[in-house]
Amino acid sequence: MISCRNLTRRYGDFTAVDNLNLEVETGAICVFLGPNGAGKSTTVKMLTGLLPPTSGTVEVCGLDAAANARELKRRIGVLPEDLGLFDDLTVEEHLHLTGAVYGLDRHETRRRTDQLLHTLSLEHGRHTFASACSHGMRKKTSFAMALLPSPQVLFLDEPFEAVDPVTSRIMRDLLQSAARRGVTIFLTAHILSVAEELATQVVMIRKGKIVWNSPAAELKQSLEAHYFDLVESPVVEDLEWLGSPPS
Amino acid sequence: MARLAAILKALWRAFQRGEKSIATLAGNNFFLVALLFLGKAGTFLFLIMGLVILFPLSTDPLRKIPPSRLGLWPLEKREMWLLRAISPWVNPMTWAIVALALWAARGRVTVGLWAMAAGLVAAGFVISELPLPRGATMWRRVPHFPGRLDQLVRKNLREMLSTLDFYCALLLSLSTALYRIFGPPLPPEALMAMTLLVVIALSSYAQCLFGLDGVGGWSRYGLLPLSAWRILAAKDAAFLVIVVVLSAPLAPLAGLGAALVALAMGRRSSVLDPRPQARWRFSAGASPVYGIGQIIAMAFAASSIFLTSWLIVFPCVALWAGSLWWYGQKMEEKELAA
Repeated sequence: MISCRNLTRRYGDFTAVDNLNLEVETGAICVFLGPNGAGKSTTVKMLTGLLPPTSGTVEVCGLDAAANARELKRRIGVLPEDLGLFDDLTVEEHLHLTGAVYGLDRHETRRRTDQLLHTLSLEHGRHTFASACSHGMRKKTSFAMALLPSPQVLFLDEPFEAVDPVTSRIMRDLLQSAARRGVTIFLTAHILSVAEELATQVVMIRKGKIVWNSPAAELKQSLEAHYFDLVESPVVEDLEWLGSPPS
Repeated sequence: MARLAAILKALWRAFQRGEKSIATLAGNNFFLVALLFLGKAGTFLFLIMGLVILFPLSTDPLRKIPPSRLGLWPLEKREMWLLRAISPWVNPMTWAIVALALWAARGRVTVGLWAMAAGLVAAGFVISELPLPRGATMWRRVPHFPGRLDQLVRKNLREMLSTLDFYCALLLSLSTALYRIFGPPLPPEALMAMTLLVVIALSSYAQCLFGLDGVGGWSRYGLLPLSAWRILAAKDAAFLVIVVVLSAPLAPLAGLGAALVALAMGRRSSVLDPRPQARWRFSAGASPVYGIGQIIAMAFAASSIFLTSWLIVFPCVALWAGSLWWYGQKMEEKELAA
Protein backbone atom coordinates (compact mmCIF):
# COMPACT_ATOMS: atom_id res chain seq x y z
CA MET A 1 0.00 0.00 0.00
CA ILE A 2 2.90 2.36 0.78
CA SER A 3 6.17 1.84 -1.00
CA CYS A 4 9.17 4.09 -1.27
CA ARG A 5 12.50 3.44 -2.88
CA ASN A 6 15.75 5.32 -2.35
CA LEU A 7 13.76 8.26 -1.01
CA THR A 8 16.07 11.19 -0.34
CA ARG A 9 15.47 14.79 0.60
CA ARG A 10 18.29 17.30 0.81
CA TYR A 11 18.22 20.92 1.96
CA GLY A 12 21.45 22.35 0.57
CA ASP A 13 24.24 20.31 2.14
CA PHE A 14 21.98 18.83 4.80
CA THR A 15 20.39 15.46 4.04
CA ALA A 16 17.15 15.21 6.00
CA VAL A 17 16.15 11.80 4.61
CA ASP A 18 18.77 9.52 3.14
CA ASN A 19 17.97 6.64 0.76
CA LEU A 20 14.89 5.44 2.58
CA ASN A 21 13.38 2.14 1.45
CA LEU A 22 10.09 1.08 2.97
CA GLU A 23 7.10 -1.17 2.32
CA VAL A 24 3.87 -1.03 4.35
CA GLU A 25 1.18 -3.65 3.72
CA THR A 26 -2.56 -2.95 3.46
CA GLY A 27 -4.17 -2.82 6.91
CA ALA A 28 -0.87 -2.43 8.75
CA ILE A 29 -0.24 0.14 11.46
CA CYS A 30 3.29 1.29 10.82
CA VAL A 31 4.78 3.32 13.66
CA PHE A 32 7.65 5.54 12.59
CA LEU A 33 9.94 6.45 15.47
CA GLY A 34 12.94 8.69 15.85
CA PRO A 35 14.31 11.64 17.83
CA ASN A 36 13.45 15.26 17.00
CA GLY A 37 14.99 16.27 13.69
CA ALA A 38 15.56 12.67 12.57
CA GLY A 39 13.53 13.15 9.36
CA LYS A 40 10.12 11.76 10.38
CA SER A 41 8.00 14.75 9.38
CA THR A 42 9.99 15.24 6.18
CA THR A 43 9.27 11.62 5.29
CA VAL A 44 5.55 12.06 6.00
CA LYS A 45 5.48 15.20 3.85
CA MET A 46 7.10 13.32 0.95
CA LEU A 47 4.74 10.36 1.33
CA THR A 48 1.71 12.66 1.23
CA GLY A 49 2.88 14.72 -1.75
CA LEU A 50 3.41 17.87 0.34
CA LEU A 51 7.13 17.85 -0.39
CA PRO A 52 8.81 16.53 -3.53
CA PRO A 53 11.77 14.22 -2.88
CA THR A 54 15.20 15.22 -4.11
CA SER A 55 15.46 11.70 -5.51
CA GLY A 56 13.70 8.38 -5.19
CA THR A 57 10.09 7.33 -5.72
CA VAL A 58 6.98 7.11 -3.57
CA GLU A 59 3.98 4.95 -4.37
CA VAL A 60 0.83 5.07 -2.28
CA CYS A 61 -2.34 3.12 -3.17
CA GLY A 62 -0.56 2.08 -6.35
CA LEU A 63 -0.19 5.71 -7.42
CA ASP A 64 3.06 7.54 -8.01
CA ALA A 65 2.91 10.43 -5.54
CA ALA A 66 4.60 12.89 -7.90
CA ALA A 67 2.64 12.04 -11.06
CA ASN A 68 -0.82 11.55 -9.54
CA ALA A 69 -0.80 14.05 -6.71
CA ARG A 70 -4.47 15.05 -6.90
CA GLU A 71 -5.81 11.51 -7.24
CA LEU A 72 -3.60 10.46 -4.33
CA LYS A 73 -4.97 13.30 -2.18
CA ARG A 74 -8.48 11.93 -2.69
CA ARG A 75 -7.47 8.56 -1.23
CA ILE A 76 -5.45 9.57 1.80
CA GLY A 77 -6.22 11.31 5.07
CA VAL A 78 -3.49 13.34 6.71
CA LEU A 79 -2.88 14.86 10.10
CA PRO A 80 0.07 17.12 9.23
CA GLU A 81 2.73 18.34 11.65
CA ASP A 82 1.31 21.89 11.63
CA LEU A 83 -2.28 20.53 11.74
CA GLY A 84 -3.29 22.45 8.59
CA LEU A 85 -6.12 24.46 10.12
CA PHE A 86 -7.49 27.85 9.12
CA ASP A 87 -7.82 30.40 11.93
CA ASP A 88 -11.02 31.74 10.39
CA LEU A 89 -13.04 28.52 10.36
CA THR A 90 -14.73 26.83 13.29
CA VAL A 91 -14.18 23.19 14.20
CA GLU A 92 -17.45 22.21 12.53
CA GLU A 93 -16.78 24.34 9.44
CA HIS A 94 -13.44 22.56 8.94
CA LEU A 95 -15.28 19.24 8.78
CA HIS A 96 -17.96 20.63 6.46
CA LEU A 97 -15.22 21.97 4.19
CA THR A 98 -13.56 18.53 4.13
CA GLY A 99 -16.80 16.75 3.26
CA ALA A 100 -17.62 19.17 0.45
CA VAL A 101 -14.14 19.10 -1.05
CA TYR A 102 -13.97 15.29 -0.97
CA GLY A 103 -17.31 15.04 -2.75
CA LEU A 104 -19.58 13.85 0.09
CA ASP A 105 -23.15 15.09 -0.08
CA ARG A 106 -24.36 17.53 2.55
CA HIS A 107 -26.39 14.97 4.50
CA GLU A 108 -23.54 12.48 4.72
CA THR A 109 -21.07 15.22 5.65
CA ARG A 110 -23.30 16.37 8.50
CA ARG A 111 -23.86 12.81 9.70
CA ARG A 112 -20.13 12.03 9.78
CA THR A 113 -19.35 15.42 11.30
CA ASP A 114 -21.79 14.86 14.15
CA GLN A 115 -20.43 11.36 14.79
CA LEU A 116 -16.81 12.51 14.80
CA LEU A 117 -17.52 15.52 17.01
CA HIS A 118 -19.33 13.27 19.46
CA THR A 119 -16.72 10.50 19.40
CA LEU A 120 -13.80 12.87 19.87
CA SER A 121 -15.58 14.96 22.56
CA LEU A 122 -15.52 18.03 20.35
CA GLU A 123 -19.24 18.77 20.49
CA HIS A 124 -18.92 21.57 23.03
CA GLY A 125 -16.35 23.32 20.82
CA ARG A 126 -17.93 22.74 17.44
CA HIS A 127 -18.57 26.48 16.94
CA THR A 128 -15.17 27.55 18.26
CA PHE A 129 -12.78 29.08 15.77
CA ALA A 130 -9.52 27.19 15.30
CA SER A 131 -7.63 30.26 16.48
CA ALA A 132 -9.43 30.08 19.82
CA CYS A 133 -9.06 26.30 20.32
CA SER A 134 -6.63 24.64 22.69
CA HIS A 135 -3.83 22.67 21.06
CA GLY A 136 -5.59 19.43 21.95
CA MET A 137 -8.81 20.58 20.27
CA ARG A 138 -6.91 21.64 17.20
CA LYS A 139 -5.23 18.25 17.02
CA LYS A 140 -8.55 16.45 17.37
CA THR A 141 -10.07 18.65 14.63
CA SER A 142 -7.23 17.82 12.26
CA PHE A 143 -7.57 14.11 13.17
CA ALA A 144 -11.31 14.25 12.45
CA MET A 145 -10.60 15.92 9.09
CA ALA A 146 -8.24 13.06 8.22
CA LEU A 147 -10.90 10.44 9.03
CA LEU A 148 -13.99 12.12 7.57
CA PRO A 149 -13.57 11.20 3.87
CA SER A 150 -12.92 7.52 4.86
CA PRO A 151 -9.45 7.33 3.30
CA GLN A 152 -7.59 4.17 2.24
CA VAL A 153 -4.39 5.34 3.94
CA LEU A 154 -3.96 7.54 7.01
CA PHE A 155 -0.79 9.52 7.62
CA LEU A 156 -0.67 10.88 11.14
CA ASP A 157 2.16 13.05 12.42
CA GLU A 158 2.29 12.87 16.23
CA PRO A 159 -1.45 12.26 16.67
CA PHE A 160 -1.33 11.64 20.43
CA GLU A 161 0.67 14.66 21.55
CA ALA A 162 -1.36 17.14 23.67
CA VAL A 163 -4.44 14.92 23.64
CA ASP A 164 -6.17 13.98 26.90
CA PRO A 165 -5.98 10.31 28.02
CA VAL A 166 -9.62 9.47 27.25
CA THR A 167 -9.48 10.90 23.72
CA SER A 168 -6.13 9.23 23.21
CA ARG A 169 -7.75 5.89 24.09
CA ILE A 170 -10.65 6.62 21.70
CA MET A 171 -8.25 7.58 18.91
CA ARG A 172 -6.27 4.35 19.40
CA ASP A 173 -9.48 2.29 19.26
CA LEU A 174 -10.61 4.11 16.11
CA LEU A 175 -7.28 3.49 14.43
CA GLN A 176 -7.26 -0.19 15.34
CA SER A 177 -10.79 -0.65 14.06
CA ALA A 178 -9.92 1.20 10.83
CA ALA A 179 -6.88 -1.03 10.33
CA ARG A 180 -9.04 -4.14 10.81
CA ARG A 181 -11.21 -2.85 7.96
CA GLY A 182 -8.20 -2.56 5.67
CA VAL A 183 -7.13 1.04 6.21
CA THR A 184 -3.35 1.38 6.21
CA ILE A 185 -1.98 3.64 8.91
CA PHE A 186 1.40 5.33 8.99
CA LEU A 187 2.04 7.33 12.12
CA THR A 188 4.90 9.03 13.88
CA ALA A 189 4.97 9.06 17.65
CA HIS A 190 7.12 9.95 20.64
CA ILE A 191 4.95 8.22 23.24
CA LEU A 192 6.51 4.78 23.08
CA SER A 193 3.90 3.00 25.20
CA VAL A 194 1.15 4.07 22.77
CA ALA A 195 3.31 3.17 19.79
CA GLU A 196 3.98 -0.27 21.27
CA GLU A 197 0.28 -0.92 21.78
CA LEU A 198 -0.70 0.04 18.24
CA ALA A 199 2.15 -1.02 15.99
CA THR A 200 2.06 -4.00 13.69
CA GLN A 201 5.22 -2.69 12.02
CA VAL A 202 7.98 -0.65 13.66
CA VAL A 203 10.37 1.58 11.75
CA MET A 204 13.07 3.60 13.49
CA ILE A 205 14.97 6.43 11.86
CA ARG A 206 18.08 8.28 12.99
CA LYS A 207 19.78 11.12 11.14
CA GLY A 208 17.65 10.43 8.07
CA LYS A 209 18.48 6.71 7.82
CA ILE A 210 16.37 3.74 8.79
CA VAL A 211 18.04 1.86 11.63
CA TRP A 212 15.25 -0.67 12.27
CA ASN A 213 12.32 -2.01 10.23
CA SER A 214 10.43 -5.13 11.26
CA PRO A 215 7.02 -6.47 12.23
CA ALA A 216 6.24 -5.43 15.82
CA ALA A 217 6.02 -9.10 16.84
CA GLU A 218 9.72 -9.56 16.04
CA LEU A 219 10.86 -7.13 18.72
CA LYS A 220 12.72 -9.16 21.36
CA GLN A 221 12.48 -6.55 24.10
CA SER A 222 10.21 -3.64 24.97
CA LEU A 223 9.93 -0.90 22.36
CA GLU A 224 11.43 1.60 24.80
CA ALA A 225 14.49 -0.56 25.49
CA HIS A 226 14.89 -1.24 21.79
CA TYR A 227 14.60 2.45 20.97
CA PHE A 228 17.18 3.44 23.57
CA ASP A 229 19.54 0.76 22.26
CA LEU A 230 19.21 1.58 18.60
CA VAL A 231 18.31 5.24 18.27
CA GLU A 232 19.61 7.13 21.27
CA SER A 233 19.98 6.51 24.97
CA PRO A 234 19.16 9.23 27.48
CA VAL A 235 22.15 10.88 29.15
CA VAL A 236 21.18 13.01 32.12
CA GLU A 237 23.70 15.62 33.11
CA ASP A 238 23.64 16.61 36.76
CA LEU A 239 22.72 20.29 37.01
CA GLU A 240 24.40 20.95 40.34
CA TRP A 241 22.78 24.38 40.73
CA LEU A 242 19.27 22.90 40.77
CA GLY A 243 17.91 23.23 44.31
CA SER A 244 20.21 26.08 45.31
CA PRO A 245 18.31 29.04 46.83
CA PRO A 246 17.12 31.73 44.35
CA SER A 247 19.19 34.92 44.29
CA MET B 1 16.67 47.99 38.52
CA ALA B 2 18.71 45.41 36.59
CA ARG B 3 15.59 43.29 36.23
CA LEU B 4 13.62 46.21 34.90
CA ALA B 5 16.38 47.20 32.47
CA ALA B 6 16.55 43.62 31.16
CA ILE B 7 12.77 43.53 30.61
CA LEU B 8 12.74 46.92 28.87
CA LYS B 9 15.63 45.85 26.63
CA ALA B 10 13.76 42.68 25.65
CA LEU B 11 10.58 44.70 25.14
CA TRP B 12 12.37 47.15 22.87
CA ARG B 13 13.79 44.29 20.82
CA ALA B 14 10.43 42.52 20.56
CA PHE B 15 8.63 45.74 19.64
CA GLN B 16 11.16 46.60 16.95
CA ARG B 17 10.92 43.11 15.44
CA GLY B 18 7.18 42.85 15.63
CA GLU B 19 6.10 46.35 14.66
CA LYS B 20 5.76 46.42 10.92
CA SER B 21 2.98 48.97 10.62
CA ILE B 22 5.10 51.72 9.11
CA ALA B 23 6.65 49.31 6.63
CA THR B 24 3.22 47.99 5.60
CA LEU B 25 1.94 51.51 4.91
CA ALA B 26 4.73 52.10 2.37
CA GLY B 27 3.38 49.25 0.24
CA ASN B 28 -0.29 50.08 0.69
CA ASN B 29 -2.07 51.42 -2.39
CA PHE B 30 -4.44 53.74 -0.52
CA PHE B 31 -1.54 55.30 1.31
CA LEU B 32 0.30 55.74 -2.01
CA VAL B 33 -2.69 57.43 -3.65
CA ALA B 34 -3.20 59.75 -0.71
CA LEU B 35 0.47 60.63 -0.67
CA LEU B 36 0.87 61.14 -4.42
CA PHE B 37 -2.40 62.49 -5.72
CA LEU B 38 -4.63 63.77 -2.96
CA GLY B 39 -2.51 66.39 -1.23
CA LYS B 40 -5.20 68.98 -1.69
CA ALA B 41 -8.18 66.80 -0.93
CA GLY B 42 -8.99 68.55 2.31
CA THR B 43 -9.69 67.72 5.91
CA PHE B 44 -11.92 64.71 5.36
CA LEU B 45 -9.29 62.62 3.62
CA PHE B 46 -6.62 63.71 6.08
CA LEU B 47 -8.92 62.67 8.91
CA ILE B 48 -9.26 59.24 7.33
CA MET B 49 -5.50 59.10 6.80
CA GLY B 50 -5.00 60.11 10.44
CA LEU B 51 -7.28 57.33 11.52
CA VAL B 52 -5.70 54.73 9.31
CA ILE B 53 -2.13 55.67 10.15
CA LEU B 54 -2.25 56.58 13.83
CA PHE B 55 -4.64 53.91 15.00
CA PRO B 56 -2.68 50.77 14.09
CA LEU B 57 0.61 52.30 15.21
CA SER B 58 -0.71 53.09 18.67
CA THR B 59 -0.36 49.75 20.40
CA ASP B 60 0.77 49.29 23.95
CA PRO B 61 4.29 47.75 23.83
CA LEU B 62 3.66 45.97 27.14
CA ARG B 63 1.28 43.69 25.24
CA LYS B 64 4.33 42.06 23.68
CA ILE B 65 4.91 40.31 27.00
CA PRO B 66 2.49 37.40 27.46
CA PRO B 67 0.34 38.15 30.56
CA SER B 68 1.15 34.76 32.09
CA ARG B 69 4.88 35.47 31.80
CA LEU B 70 4.52 38.97 33.22
CA GLY B 71 2.50 37.58 36.11
CA LEU B 72 5.14 34.95 36.87
CA TRP B 73 8.15 37.28 36.98
CA PRO B 74 9.15 38.10 40.57
CA LEU B 75 8.74 41.87 40.13
CA GLU B 76 7.99 44.15 43.04
CA LYS B 77 5.06 46.55 42.95
CA ARG B 78 7.34 49.53 42.44
CA GLU B 79 9.03 47.80 39.49
CA MET B 80 5.64 46.99 37.93
CA TRP B 81 4.62 50.64 38.18
CA LEU B 82 7.87 51.77 36.64
CA LEU B 83 7.47 49.23 33.82
CA ARG B 84 3.93 50.49 33.19
CA ALA B 85 5.16 54.10 33.11
CA ILE B 86 8.25 53.55 30.96
CA SER B 87 7.01 50.95 28.46
CA PRO B 88 4.82 53.36 26.36
CA TRP B 89 8.02 55.23 25.47
CA VAL B 90 9.21 52.19 23.56
CA ASN B 91 6.58 53.10 20.96
CA PRO B 92 7.79 56.01 18.76
CA MET B 93 4.19 57.29 18.57
CA THR B 94 4.47 58.47 22.20
CA TRP B 95 7.50 60.59 21.26
CA ALA B 96 5.66 61.89 18.19
CA ILE B 97 2.76 63.09 20.35
CA VAL B 98 5.17 64.86 22.73
CA ALA B 99 6.87 66.54 19.75
CA LEU B 100 3.46 67.59 18.43
CA ALA B 101 2.61 69.02 21.88
CA LEU B 102 5.79 71.12 21.77
CA TRP B 103 4.86 72.37 18.31
CA ALA B 104 1.36 73.18 19.54
CA ALA B 105 2.83 75.14 22.45
CA ARG B 106 4.88 77.19 19.96
CA GLY B 107 1.81 77.73 17.77
CA ARG B 108 3.23 75.69 14.83
CA VAL B 109 0.19 73.39 14.85
CA THR B 110 -3.25 73.95 16.34
CA VAL B 111 -4.16 72.56 19.75
CA GLY B 112 -7.16 70.90 18.06
CA LEU B 113 -4.91 68.91 15.71
CA TRP B 114 -2.68 67.87 18.61
CA ALA B 115 -5.75 66.87 20.64
CA MET B 116 -7.08 64.77 17.74
CA ALA B 117 -3.75 62.98 17.21
CA ALA B 118 -3.26 62.46 20.96
CA GLY B 119 -6.83 61.20 21.27
CA LEU B 120 -6.33 58.67 18.45
CA VAL B 121 -3.06 57.43 19.92
CA ALA B 122 -4.62 57.16 23.39
CA ALA B 123 -7.61 55.32 21.93
CA GLY B 124 -5.22 52.95 20.17
CA PHE B 125 -3.44 52.24 23.48
CA VAL B 126 -6.70 51.67 25.35
CA ILE B 127 -8.24 49.50 22.63
CA SER B 128 -5.09 47.38 22.42
CA GLU B 129 -5.62 46.63 26.14
CA LEU B 130 -9.22 45.47 25.66
CA PRO B 131 -9.92 41.76 25.18
CA LEU B 132 -11.36 42.27 21.68
CA PRO B 133 -12.53 39.27 19.67
CA ARG B 134 -10.28 38.14 16.84
CA GLY B 135 -11.37 39.03 13.34
CA ALA B 136 -12.94 35.64 12.77
CA THR B 137 -14.93 35.66 16.00
CA MET B 138 -16.28 39.10 15.25
CA TRP B 139 -17.55 37.98 11.84
CA ARG B 140 -19.01 34.61 12.83
CA ARG B 141 -22.18 35.09 10.78
CA VAL B 142 -20.96 35.55 7.23
CA PRO B 143 -23.31 34.28 4.52
CA HIS B 144 -23.08 30.86 2.89
CA PHE B 145 -22.27 30.49 -0.80
CA PRO B 146 -23.39 27.82 -3.23
CA GLY B 147 -20.98 25.07 -4.26
CA ARG B 148 -18.33 23.05 -2.55
CA LEU B 149 -16.05 26.03 -1.99
CA ASP B 150 -18.57 27.56 0.42
CA GLN B 151 -16.44 27.25 3.56
CA LEU B 152 -13.30 28.43 1.80
CA VAL B 153 -15.07 31.57 0.53
CA ARG B 154 -16.49 32.24 4.01
CA LYS B 155 -13.02 31.86 5.53
CA ASN B 156 -11.55 34.22 2.94
CA LEU B 157 -14.30 36.73 3.64
CA ARG B 158 -13.52 36.63 7.36
CA GLU B 159 -9.84 37.12 6.62
CA MET B 160 -10.58 40.21 4.54
CA LEU B 161 -12.87 41.58 7.22
CA SER B 162 -10.00 41.44 9.70
CA THR B 163 -7.83 43.87 7.70
CA LEU B 164 -7.98 47.66 8.05
CA ASP B 165 -8.25 47.95 4.25
CA PHE B 166 -11.87 46.89 4.45
CA TYR B 167 -12.76 49.44 7.14
CA CYS B 168 -11.05 52.23 5.22
CA ALA B 169 -13.05 51.28 2.09
CA LEU B 170 -16.23 50.98 4.17
CA LEU B 171 -15.71 54.47 5.58
CA LEU B 172 -15.25 55.89 2.09
CA SER B 173 -18.25 54.05 0.67
CA LEU B 174 -20.56 54.90 3.56
CA SER B 175 -19.62 58.56 3.69
CA THR B 176 -20.15 58.93 -0.08
CA ALA B 177 -23.49 57.11 0.10
CA LEU B 178 -24.63 59.36 2.95
CA TYR B 179 -23.48 62.43 1.05
CA ARG B 180 -25.51 61.23 -1.95
CA ILE B 181 -28.59 60.92 0.23
CA PHE B 182 -28.31 64.06 2.31
CA GLY B 183 -25.98 66.40 0.38
CA PRO B 184 -26.31 68.30 -2.90
CA PRO B 185 -26.21 66.16 -6.09
CA LEU B 186 -22.78 64.80 -6.98
CA PRO B 187 -21.46 64.92 -10.55
CA PRO B 188 -21.36 61.35 -12.01
CA GLU B 189 -17.55 61.53 -12.38
CA ALA B 190 -17.26 62.04 -8.63
CA LEU B 191 -19.09 58.76 -8.09
CA MET B 192 -16.62 57.00 -10.36
CA ALA B 193 -13.68 58.61 -8.56
CA MET B 194 -15.00 57.57 -5.14
CA THR B 195 -15.65 54.03 -6.41
CA LEU B 196 -12.10 53.85 -7.65
CA LEU B 197 -10.85 55.09 -4.29
CA VAL B 198 -12.89 52.36 -2.53
CA VAL B 199 -11.37 49.64 -4.73
CA ILE B 200 -7.88 51.15 -4.37
CA ALA B 201 -8.30 50.96 -0.59
CA LEU B 202 -8.93 47.22 -1.00
CA SER B 203 -6.47 46.54 -3.81
CA SER B 204 -3.30 45.94 -1.78
CA TYR B 205 -5.05 42.89 -0.36
CA ALA B 206 -5.26 41.53 -3.92
CA GLN B 207 -1.45 41.41 -3.87
CA CYS B 208 -1.33 39.19 -0.79
CA LEU B 209 -4.42 36.96 -0.92
CA PHE B 210 -2.75 34.19 1.12
CA GLY B 211 -1.19 36.50 3.70
CA LEU B 212 -3.54 35.59 6.54
CA ASP B 213 -3.73 31.83 5.95
CA GLY B 214 -0.63 31.04 7.97
CA VAL B 215 1.59 27.98 7.68
CA GLY B 216 -1.26 25.63 8.58
CA GLY B 217 -3.44 27.09 5.85
CA TRP B 218 -0.77 26.58 3.21
CA SER B 219 -0.26 22.95 4.14
CA ARG B 220 -4.03 22.38 4.09
CA TYR B 221 -4.24 23.84 0.57
CA GLY B 222 -1.52 21.36 -0.37
CA LEU B 223 -3.56 18.46 1.02
CA LEU B 224 -6.95 19.35 -0.47
CA PRO B 225 -7.74 17.50 -3.70
CA LEU B 226 -8.57 20.77 -5.48
CA SER B 227 -7.09 22.42 -8.55
CA ALA B 228 -5.12 25.52 -7.63
CA TRP B 229 -7.34 27.74 -9.77
CA ARG B 230 -10.31 26.80 -7.58
CA ILE B 231 -8.41 27.85 -4.46
CA LEU B 232 -7.63 31.16 -6.17
CA ALA B 233 -11.26 31.50 -7.31
CA ALA B 234 -12.42 31.11 -3.69
CA LYS B 235 -10.08 33.96 -2.74
CA ASP B 236 -11.36 36.11 -5.59
CA ALA B 237 -15.01 35.42 -4.78
CA ALA B 238 -14.59 36.89 -1.29
CA PHE B 239 -12.79 39.95 -2.70
CA LEU B 240 -15.45 40.52 -5.35
CA VAL B 241 -18.33 40.14 -2.88
CA ILE B 242 -16.87 42.93 -0.76
CA VAL B 243 -16.22 45.17 -3.78
CA VAL B 244 -19.74 44.63 -5.12
CA VAL B 245 -21.32 45.47 -1.76
CA LEU B 246 -19.18 48.57 -1.15
CA SER B 247 -19.47 49.94 -4.68
CA ALA B 248 -23.20 49.19 -5.03
CA PRO B 249 -24.29 52.68 -3.88
CA LEU B 250 -21.65 54.33 -6.11
CA ALA B 251 -20.64 53.09 -9.58
CA PRO B 252 -20.89 49.28 -9.32
CA LEU B 253 -19.77 48.31 -12.83
CA ALA B 254 -16.71 50.55 -12.70
CA GLY B 255 -15.97 49.04 -9.28
CA LEU B 256 -16.31 45.51 -10.61
CA GLY B 257 -14.02 46.21 -13.56
CA ALA B 258 -11.39 47.82 -11.32
CA ALA B 259 -11.62 44.89 -8.88
CA LEU B 260 -11.14 42.29 -11.62
CA VAL B 261 -8.09 44.17 -12.88
CA ALA B 262 -6.76 44.55 -9.30
CA LEU B 263 -7.02 40.77 -8.83
CA ALA B 264 -5.38 40.01 -12.17
CA MET B 265 -2.55 42.45 -11.51
CA GLY B 266 -2.07 41.31 -7.91
CA ARG B 267 -1.96 37.64 -8.82
CA ARG B 268 1.75 37.44 -9.51
CA SER B 269 2.65 38.75 -6.07
CA SER B 270 -0.05 36.69 -4.32
CA VAL B 271 1.02 33.38 -5.84
CA LEU B 272 4.73 33.68 -6.49
CA ASP B 273 5.74 35.90 -3.59
CA PRO B 274 3.24 35.35 -0.76
CA ARG B 275 4.02 37.46 2.29
CA PRO B 276 2.48 36.91 5.71
CA GLN B 277 0.17 39.74 6.79
CA ALA B 278 -1.00 40.86 10.22
CA ARG B 279 -4.62 41.19 11.25
CA TRP B 280 -5.97 44.64 12.05
CA ARG B 281 -3.27 46.20 9.93
CA PHE B 282 -3.23 47.51 6.38
CA SER B 283 -2.23 44.97 3.76
CA ALA B 284 1.33 45.36 2.61
CA GLY B 285 1.69 45.19 -1.15
CA ALA B 286 4.74 43.86 -2.99
CA SER B 287 6.31 47.27 -3.66
CA PRO B 288 5.27 50.89 -4.37
CA VAL B 289 6.11 50.42 -8.09
CA TYR B 290 3.93 47.30 -8.29
CA GLY B 291 1.18 49.19 -6.47
CA ILE B 292 1.33 52.18 -8.80
CA GLY B 293 1.11 49.85 -11.82
CA GLN B 294 -1.94 48.22 -10.29
CA ILE B 295 -3.56 51.59 -9.53
CA ILE B 296 -3.01 52.89 -13.08
CA ALA B 297 -4.53 49.74 -14.62
CA MET B 298 -7.50 49.94 -12.25
CA ALA B 299 -8.05 53.63 -13.01
CA PHE B 300 -7.90 52.88 -16.74
CA ALA B 301 -10.46 50.07 -16.43
CA ALA B 302 -12.86 51.99 -14.18
CA SER B 303 -12.79 55.19 -16.22
CA SER B 304 -13.16 53.30 -19.52
CA ILE B 305 -16.19 51.43 -18.21
CA PHE B 306 -17.71 54.57 -16.75
CA LEU B 307 -16.95 57.01 -19.55
CA THR B 308 -16.97 54.79 -22.65
CA SER B 309 -19.02 51.62 -22.39
CA TRP B 310 -20.04 49.06 -19.81
CA LEU B 311 -18.99 46.37 -22.33
CA ILE B 312 -15.39 47.02 -21.27
CA VAL B 313 -16.23 44.86 -18.25
CA PHE B 314 -15.82 41.84 -20.56
CA PRO B 315 -12.14 42.40 -21.35
CA CYS B 316 -11.63 42.86 -17.60
CA VAL B 317 -13.35 39.50 -17.00
CA ALA B 318 -11.17 37.91 -19.69
CA LEU B 319 -8.00 39.35 -18.13
CA TRP B 320 -9.08 38.07 -14.70
CA ALA B 321 -9.98 34.59 -16.03
CA GLY B 322 -6.67 34.38 -17.91
CA SER B 323 -4.73 35.27 -14.75
CA LEU B 324 -6.74 32.70 -12.80
CA TRP B 325 -5.81 29.94 -15.24
CA TRP B 326 -2.18 30.98 -15.70
CA TYR B 327 -1.37 31.49 -12.04
CA GLY B 328 -3.35 28.38 -11.10
CA GLN B 329 -0.80 26.46 -13.20
CA LYS B 330 2.05 28.38 -11.61
CA MET B 331 0.72 27.63 -8.14
CA GLU B 332 0.62 23.91 -8.86
CA GLU B 333 4.14 24.01 -10.30
CA LYS B 334 5.26 25.88 -7.20
CA GLU B 335 3.66 23.30 -4.91
CA LEU B 336 5.47 20.52 -6.74
CA ALA B 337 8.77 22.33 -6.49
CA ALA B 338 8.31 23.40 -2.86
